[in-house]
Amino acid sequence: MMQNIWLYLYFPNLQLDALLQQNPDSNIHTQAYVILDEQTNQICQLNHTAHQAGIRLNMGLGTAAMFKADLQVIAYQQKITKNRLNDIAQSLYLVTSDICFFNDNGLLLRVHNMLNLYGNLISYWQVVQQQLLQQQVHFHYATGHSPLAARLLAITAWDQITDNIQTVKQAIQQTSLQHTDLTTKAVEKLQRVGVHTIQALLNIPIAEIAKRFDIEVATYIGRLTAQITHPVNFFHPKKSFERFIELLYDIENIQILQGPLKQLLQSLEQFLKVRDLLTQTLVFTFSQRDEKSIELNICSQQGEYLAKYWAALISLKLENITLSAPVFGIRLIVENTYIRTPDKGDLFAGKQGALSRLQLISLLQAKLGANAVSTPVLTDDYRPERIIQKTQLQPKPIQHSTLYALRPSFLLNPPQRLQEKVSIAYGPERIETGWWDAQPITRDYFIARNQLGQWYWVFKTPTGDWYLHGVFS
Amino acid sequence: MHPTISYLKNKNLLWQANHTQSTESGQHSGFTELDNALQGGFPEYGVIDIRSLLGIGELRLLLPSILTRQQQKKTELVTLIAPPMFINSEMLAEFGFALDQVMVVQPSLNKQVLWSAEQSLKSGCCHSVILWHASLSVTQVKRLQLAAEKGHCLLFIIRQPQQEHISLPVTLGIRLSPSKVGIKAQITKRKGNWSNNSFDVYMGAYWPELSQLDTNVLAFPSRASRAG
Repeated sequence: MMQNIWLYLYFPNLQLDALLQQNPDSNIHTQAYVILDEQTNQICQLNHTAHQAGIRLNMGLGTAAMFKADLQVIAYQQKITKNRLNDIAQSLYLVTSDICFFNDNGLLLRVHNMLNLYGNLISYWQVVQQQLLQQQVHFHYATGHSPLAARLLAITAWDQITDNIQTVKQAIQQTSLQHTDLTTKAVEKLQRVGVHTIQALLNIPIAEIAKRFDIEVATYIGRLTAQITHPVNFFHPKKSFERFIELLYDIENIQILQGPLKQLLQSLEQFLKVRDLLTQTLVFTFSQRDEKSIELNICSQQGEYLAKYWAALISLKLENITLSAPVFGIRLIVENTYIRTPDKGDLFAGKQGALSRLQLISLLQAKLGANAVSTPVLTDDYRPERIIQKTQLQPKPIQHSTLYALRPSFLLNPPQRLQEKVSIAYGPERIETGWWDAQPITRDYFIARNQLGQWYWVFKTPTGDWYLHGVFS
Repeated sequence: MHPTISYLKNKNLLWQANHTQSTESGQHSGFTELDNALQGGFPEYGVIDIRSLLGIGELRLLLPSILTRQQQKKTELVTLIAPPMFINSEMLAEFGFALDQVMVVQPSLNKQVLWSAEQSLKSGCCHSVILWHASLSVTQVKRLQLAAEKGHCLLFIIRQPQQEHISLPVTLGIRLSPSKVGIKAQITKRKGNWSNNSFDVYMGAYWPELSQLDTNVLAFPSRASRAG
């Protein structure tokens, strides 16, 4: 039987890494930065500079401030960490099938069933490592014969990949109880009786432990040594794309906003490209300080995935927007995606334009608004006004079969009283319709020419009033 | 050749009479009189400046040639930008246009009009653009001209006759005035050619209702007598 191997990836600095990635020009490299968990008032993430200064995990803020006076403190936001972890899982899903979330900073991968594909552990690890390096995060890793063994070793930064259970067991035995998932209370209890390492704990028979300590400790030992199977829920990636980035500093200028937007679009492009998907709508939410957030819908008539294309549409859209307050965060949600179908362009059609028709329409709509671009359509009503009401942008308007009378090129909306002297050239043509609804008309239409030589479409009502309704341009 | 002359020629500062490109284009306008005056018809692409009153037949003068272009390039659009009034779809359909190949753009701001025109021209997916716009500068026309060349598109700019009298770098300039038989046209500017006579364009073949009969009645016997 194949032995079980689990790989645990531990990400100690997810929020800091996310910040650094979004603001590559910032001083996160050089300045000491820590993330503070406000609930426990303890430091939960820190960068290298802070570590060098002597600051450690779970330290109080006061102590940390004593080590480094110019310490930068950022509040812990579980959402950012979770999102980042989710992104990492998404990208790992491309190379490995079984992924499980552990707390908010760890991923557990089931390795043994992937070995059929990759041959051996080393080549599997190379592929996984490649994916992780793309994500630009700090991580520690370890393999183990049980999920908890791998986790324990990864947290202690063991950073080794092996399928030799003996090596793993030896490594586990050295680790101190502080790193385990046991509660502090249980650890204290064990320390009081002289149990400091896993080795000492393993020497006690499991029945004894169950009798003398909590059942929790016994379960932990059982799972650690793979005597009890650890229940795991595997991750299934979502079809939609959602990402929130928090800006390191507030942005008031729309020009500067383009930078973070570009990053969002780049990751969207990657997401869509890998899955061979296209989308037609992006929904951006700009969170503004002390103001309502702005929601921005960007539509493309033609499905797109390229960041470059979306960036062009967004910059047109942003021209019409004024920020009333600084922006501190941007969220991008893309819900509807569909599989890309290859363009069926004609190779021999000659001139190939830079844009397709739908791209041109999207471009114009982004700048001028959706209502500014339309396609004329016909109605099945004899009232000329009805055409005005029904014009919309439709992919395939219905063509009428019967069209006979001469109609003007332009219509006045609404018709205006005829103010000048005209001479009738053609007519009348009576239109009497609409008796079934509230707007019946009875009109005699004439083609007339005025003194300047302009051709008018005029009508006379039964009461004898003359109106100008159209111009034959 | 003298080095100075070749230098000037390279700099494009010297014009020679044989530089004129042949303007023989097969794009018939659909009107015999206009085709004769233009020695073939409208150019294949470029900017055409039309000065005309509203409602004397200025749009109808363009429709047959645009319809031909639409039938030749079935996948491309004809774009109408900033028409002064509501475009009547019935008229277009009646004349034979496929309405799904027609796009009407109505920008709310004046400065967006030229932007829309430039985007449509250079997109390469429009064969003709008709633009109603009042004032144009030389630089703006040059930009539109470049965009039209890039997208192989024909741009018609329809303006009121009285505005501006500077010469714009357009491919073709036409001034239109009302006429009973159809429309009176005068070629004011044309690349590589010169003609300044005004002539009547007979439109009765397409729109007998809009071409006044009394002129026709008079014209007929006089033509017959000349033949005899």
